Amino acid sequence: MSSLSVDLHKLSKFVNLALPVLVIGFLLAGKYVHFYFHFLTVAFLFLTIANVFYLFVQDQHPLLRNFGIVAQGRYLVESIGPELRQYLYSSDTEERPFNRIERSEIYRKAKNIDSASSFGSQKNFDTSEIKLRHSMYPSSHDDLIPYSLTFGEERGLKTAYTITKPMMISAMSYGALGQHAVRALARGAKLAGIAMNTGEGGYPKYHLMEGCDLIFQIGTAKFGVRNDEGYLDDEKLRELAGKDEIKMIEIKFSQGAKPGKGGLLPKEKITREISELRGVEMGKDVVSPPHHKECTDKTTTVAFIKHVQEVSGLPVGIKFCVGSPQQVDDLVQEMVDQDVFPDYISVDGSEGGTGAAPKSFMDRVGMPLFPALSSVNRILCKKGVRNRLKLLAAGKLINPGRQILAFAMGADAVYSARGFMLSLGCIQAMQCGNNTCPIGITTQDPALQRGLDIGTRSVRVKNYVNNTMHDLEELLAASGERSLDDLSIDNLFIPEDSTLAPLVHDKYIDSKH
Amino acid sequence: MKILSWILRIVAAAILAQTLFFKFTGHPDSVAIFTAIGMEPGGRILIGVLELIAAVLLLFPGTVAFGAILSMGVMTGAIVGHFTDIGFADGLLSLFVLALVVWICSAAVLVIHRRQIPIIRQMFAKSKY
Ligand SMILES: Cc1cc2nc3c(=O)[nH]c(=O)nc-3n(C[C@H](O)[C@H](O)[C@H](O)COP(=O)(O)O)c2cc1C
Repeated sequence: MSSLSVDLHKLSKFVNLALPVLVIGFLLAGKYVHFYFHFLTVAFLFLTIANVFYLFVQDQHPLLRNFGIVAQGRYLVESIGPELRQYLYSSDTEERPFNRIERSEIYRKAKNIDSASSFGSQKNFDTSEIKLRHSMYPSSHDDLIPYSLTFGEERGLKTAYTITKPMMISAMSYGALGQHAVRALARGAKLAGIAMNTGEGGYPKYHLMEGCDLIFQIGTAKFGVRNDEGYLDDEKLRELAGKDEIKMIEIKFSQGAKPGKGGLLPKEKITREISELRGVEMGKDVVSPPHHKECTDKTTTVAFIKHVQEVSGLPVGIKFCVGSPQQVDDLVQEMVDQDVFPDYISVDGSEGGTGAAPKSFMDRVGMPLFPALSSVNRILCKKGVRNRLKLLAAGKLINPGRQILAFAMGADAVYSARGFMLSLGCIQAMQCGNNTCPIGITTQDPALQRGLDIGTRSVRVKNYVNNTMHDLEELLAASGERSLDDLSIDNLFIPEDSTLAPLVHDKYIDSKH
Repeated sequence: MKILSWILRIVAAAILAQTLFFKFTGHPDSVAIFTAIGMEPGGRILIGVLELIAAVLLLFPGTVAFGAILSMGVMTGAIVGHFTDIGFADGLLSLFVLALVVWICSAAVLVIHRRQIPIIRQMFAKSKY
């Protein structure tokens, strides 16, 4: 690097001198050779002026002040760096959060193109990768038991809700997503016959348009069901729960991308309509509180779950990212003591996505999905209450290969958010919070959303679900089990070096029932 | 600021547009000037087209800064021309003054809309990555 900065030094000295000399040269040429040279005179005069401005006038950018216009090149290159890396210099397995191989599997599934690959895997086969154990005697397809899961059956609810595919669209609010994206996902969910979570975006106007099964999420700010003080408005909840499309209610305690912090909707994305659906002001960032006003400890939390169950009359789940398993243990004990259980728990891994969150939270807070999921599963089993509720999981569960690991660690069904965004055509531009999404998914800008055609995109969503389910069944058959329910930690190869290795030895508990 | 910007832009664009008539119709005065600098007739049409583009860009809100830069460029050329080949005799002085007025208006417009200049805007934009 040092040789490069020396070059920059010399180069800038040369350029700083050459620019005014050239201006004079062209001026003379314009006078004595031909007037057309003055086009160059003018151009170089302007460059010289910009250079003087950088060197002597502005004081915001040390690099420009030291080196002048030459350094501008660095800013230029830096500003297109992400694109350069994505298109030219990143290897297929390098990008985060999803590398090219992972993304293209989704694109292929969504477009209904064969996603077989050739020659060999590009994954690591070192001492940390978890793999599924296949059986010498795979199940035949006819032996597989069709998947079915009923939420609320434990409480004998009349409104119990049955799903027949183990995959659902995870919470993404209208606000984080634009209306085209919401409607394309909702229509796709309807076509594929899966449920979609509304996210914490308030009244689900656009979700309802497509007639798919919905899970209404109550965020910590309770958009859509809040009273003026920010507490739950029972009447509004009852009204929403009465809608045919709304099958379940989900109380969100935290999410993996920003556990311990409320949601954030940047002011750029708050249109008049969003402010109405959510009941918030325009022109200001909307920050949700970090916790529900009703829930200050485990007692009030369990009481609140019960209250929502009673008011809504629907199956009610809770969503959180695990911080400390001990706290989860205490909460479950409280459920046992009060004999109140949510109808499902959804564990969100800290690798989860979001429209906008502080970087430090995204990077550094919360347990990753697999250890979190398996510890919650174990806590439930140990207390003998695993059969009182269902367990869901989310966190990069975008492909069947990763999903099956979650099933083996105790999940009954999986949620994905970004998998579905990719199926809509998301190119991972990483601008969800800026209202500038180039594909038109996470933006309220009508000009950008124009490109996202609801009709064709919804078919992609359906294809993605169907192809993923197909691969998942194949994996299940290879494992020799007959249903996802039969999978356990024994079906996984977990190397000694993995942080999950202790699970394998923890033999006293590893089953879902 | 917004009103000031509009006034400056309209003044500059109006002056630019008004000379086009003489340039494109091949008015003898115009032909004389361009003959003096050896650009007749291609240069006359070329400069006219550039001025037309500059005037249009100045009037569209999204392209003001680009119009201002272009019009400053052409006017700088004109000013240089006056000093080197054209001179200030007869009615030429008033043409020189007009060029100067357009230059100053454009410069002021550029200052007002400096955030539109693409490279500088990128430097001021808050980082996304
Ligand atoms: C654009 C976007 C918006 C989201 N909005 C919400 C939300 O409103 N409520 C919530 O609980 N989670 C929200 N999430 C988190 C997801 O529901 C999910 O928990 C997380 O992204 C993990 O799933 P994934 O890895 O499949 O994306 C959002 C995620 C994204 C990418």
